[in-house]
Amino acid sequence: MDSQAKFDESHLRDLLPLYYKRLFPAAHFYKWLSYGNASTFAHREISFALENDIYLRFQSFDTYKEFVEELYKKNPIKIDIGPIYLTKPKARNMGQALQASAKEMVFDIDLTDYDDVRTCCSGADVCTKCWKFMAIASKIIDTALREDFRYVNVLWVFSGRRGIHAWVSDEHARGLDINGRPAIAEYLTVLKEGMKKKKVSLTGHIHTSISRALKIIDKYFPTIVKEQDILGTDERLKNFLSILDDNVRTQFKDCMTKVTTSAERWEAFERKFMQLQQTNEIPRNLKNLREEIKLQYAYPRLDINVTKGITHLLKAPFCVHPKTGKVCVPFNVKHVDNFDPNNVPTISMIINEVDAYDKKTKEQEETLMETDEPSVTNQVKIKDYKKTSLLRPINLFSEFLKNLEKDTKKRVDPF
Amino acid sequence: MDTNARRRRVHTTVEDTEATLYNHDLSLYPKFPCSEIPLSEFEELAIDRVQLFRIIEQASLKGHKYFSDEWKKCIKDDMMKNNLKKFVRLLSGFNGQTELDIQARRADHISHFILRIAYCRSEELRKWFLARELEWFKIKFVSNSTPSILKFLQLNELNYQTISNEEKEDLKESLIVCTPGMNDVQVMMSEFYKVPFLDVWTLVQKRRVFLKEGYAYIPINDLVVSIQSTFRTTLSSKLVLMNRNLPNLDDERLSNLLCNLHQAYTGNEYTVSNDKDAINPADIDEYSKKHYPLCMRNLHETLRANHHLKHYGRLIYGLFLKAIGLKYEQFIEFWRSEFTKTMDTDAFNKNHLYNFNHQFGKVGKRVNYSPYSCMKIIMSNVGAGDAHCCPFRHFDVGRLRAKISECGAPSEGVSEIMQLVNNGHYQIACTKYFQYTHPQPSSNTINHPNQYFEESMNLVKDKTEKIVS
Ligand code: SF4
Ligand SMILES: [Zn+2]
Repeated sequence: MDSQAKFDESHLRDLLPLYYKRLFPAAHFYKWLSYGNASTFAHREISFALENDIYLRFQSFDTYKEFVEELYKKNPIKIDIGPIYLTKPKARNMGQALQASAKEMVFDIDLTDYDDVRTCCSGADVCTKCWKFMAIASKIIDTALREDFRYVNVLWVFSGRRGIHAWVSDEHARGLDINGRPAIAEYLTVLKEGMKKKKVSLTGHIHTSISRALKIIDKYFPTIVKEQDILGTDERLKNFLSILDDNVRTQFKDCMTKVTTSAERWEAFERKFMQLQQTNEIPRNLKNLREEIKLQYAYPRLDINVTKGITHLLKAPFCVHPKTGKVCVPFNVKHVDNFDPNNVPTISMIINEVDAYDKKTKEQEETLMETDEPSVTNQVKIKDYKKTSLLRPINLFSEFLKNLEKDTKKRVDPF
Repeated sequence: MDTNARRRRVHTTVEDTEATLYNHDLSLYPKFPCSEIPLSEFEELAIDRVQLFRIIEQASLKGHKYFSDEWKKCIKDDMMKNNLKKFVRLLSGFNGQTELDIQARRADHISHFILRIAYCRSEELRKWFLARELEWFKIKFVSNSTPSILKFLQLNELNYQTISNEEKEDLKESLIVCTPGMNDVQVMMSEFYKVPFLDVWTLVQKRRVFLKEGYAYIPINDLVVSIQSTFRTTLSSKLVLMNRNLPNLDDERLSNLLCNLHQAYTGNEYTVSNDKDAINPADIDEYSKKHYPLCMRNLHETLRANHHLKHYGRLIYGLFLKAIGLKYEQFIEFWRSEFTKTMDTDAFNKNHLYNFNHQFGKVGKRVNYSPYSCMKIIMSNVGAGDAHCCPFRHFDVGRLRAKISECGAPSEGVSEIMQLVNNGHYQIACTKYFQYTHPQPSSNTINHPNQYFEESMNLVKDKTEKIVS
């Protein structure tokens, strides 16, 4: 599959009409955001970003037909999803503020927020090494949502470049009020931004949600120490030591500078820590130091305001990232370790796949025609996306929708 | 509760039903009171509760940490000082059943409903009232013992689900690490309750509670968080509803009371009493520099500069002057001499004299008007060209900064004051300003310009007395 290399930004304008018409799962999309009720969709803000920085906000569509027609006409570079408002956004009165009534709870995690700990790539780049941070993040958040809050309808989506989104779509998540969203967002936030180098502080007992997160981190941590080489240079070691409190720093500095590789240094740190613990030389407020450091390096870094606010817009699944050409595909958290962000279908790739498939079938048909088989002409037309690598992500989306539907029914009619 | 109660018979005895109605210090006030009360008591109860709430609010503004022991002590002390003994009784934790206890709960109940009527009128008032009600509920709640809390739950049919011993045994480790402030033994001793996590979102936010499948597991002490959240929801919707269906009150005194409660009744009213020392009009300029709060200093300086003040400026400054002890003749003379610098005496007599007489209570209804409190000044509308205002609230930042340093606040004081202003604590800013411009801080937070003046004068008096003796 070398086809993704072929994506060229300048082709986007020609590819998008084809993509929306033949591949974008508009019907799924509509079904999702209707939640079994057409008026729910009609009250939803759906914004389009067009070429030349034109941005159409506060659009809403009364019917499926209206939505797709507009989609085919505008071929947006990006689709953003906003909240469900009490009045239809498009029918709003100028000067009167719209009142949001519901929205999925969303999470937005981006690798750029890890730039102080990832060394393999920077900025917009991403590889399977730093993707591990996203794997950890999605696992920790997903488990917390399920086990602590009993949210089960969570759609995880690759953001098209270097991040991930989660759409928590359970009814009681969509209806969260102005207290609920920030409460959950803060509950899941462990790193505190501020002047201090040390961003995590665990005093007293460690909360179950954090010890659970640590278990997940532990599976990855040795690899991260190596791959990200977090202690491998003098500068990185200096950074590490600056997190430590003054009163213990030198003790660790000595033993850690004696060895050279990242793994050896981490090992030296751990050994020293345990030794100091046995001799009671670790001050009480630092007894969770190892955990604090692991969390600082690997705990999910949420863009908390996206989660807190009900009116925040977020890019829709199955958009095409205009710079990379990658489709924002859903992924399964259980298999996130096998997800390769550089092997995500691009728009040029899937359109080629459709063409290739069609060409092949045509050839087959022609050969068959020559042999005069009667059955082929009756063949049912197969959906275009099924001919491409979009098949699996769309199946994942369908599965999500199926569970959502079951859940909605259960809620309405428990018997 | 009947708002036309004045015309009805007055009950003086506590009936049997009250003993059952008022059998617990804690209440969520589910029912409207149905006893008849005289208007005077109605007024008194309304003011008492506003005062109680002011005290609670002040305690935090004074810098005490919420629900700390000092915070609670400060509130209790202030309640005693302000004659709110009956409310203090509700904090005893004994849940007594004497006549006095019942009377106290009755006062709590009725005053709560009076304030509902008074405070449902705007978003801002509702917010303030709701916050205070929740704090008041919590203060009472935390004073109660476990058995009496259980009694309260039962009386109010609050069916909180406790977890079984087996479940507790299963979750033991989690409960211990997730419930701050409780050690292993305490966790095992306490009952734990299972509530929807949103009921205790404040605990969730701080990660101070164990969560499992959408439920929060809380010990009895944290139940208050959940009850508060139910209380908040119901009370808030009831207030909105009440505002929509507010009856037209046919009694002017009553409707005046209810509409102005928040602004008008905050501590001492500072109307003139006869035992006040008269002040010498010749001293006013000096007083304005040494003893006036900024609002009055601004009015005075504007008057001296323009020889005129607009309507509200005249009213607010006039009432202030009267309350600091300016006698009637001198009061009229004061205004006349200033105003006639730009108009002739005839014009003054024709256009203004009646108003000043009225202000002083000499003509018309002859009301002894109270001077404006800080709240009233802070909440008032200040238009262009108006000199009446609370400078801490209404001046723009640059002008305020210049003014307070011109008036003698040292630079570190200026920035501290500006910080308070930034956070909307105008009266605390004024209190700080007092502190920085006097040898000694005021004994209370400033909530009345006349209080400011009196406290400032007292410092001088103390000094002169010392010198004399
Ligand atoms: S806080 Fe009160 S006394 Fe101080 S300036 Fe404002 S209104 Fe006047
Ligand atoms: Zn990388």
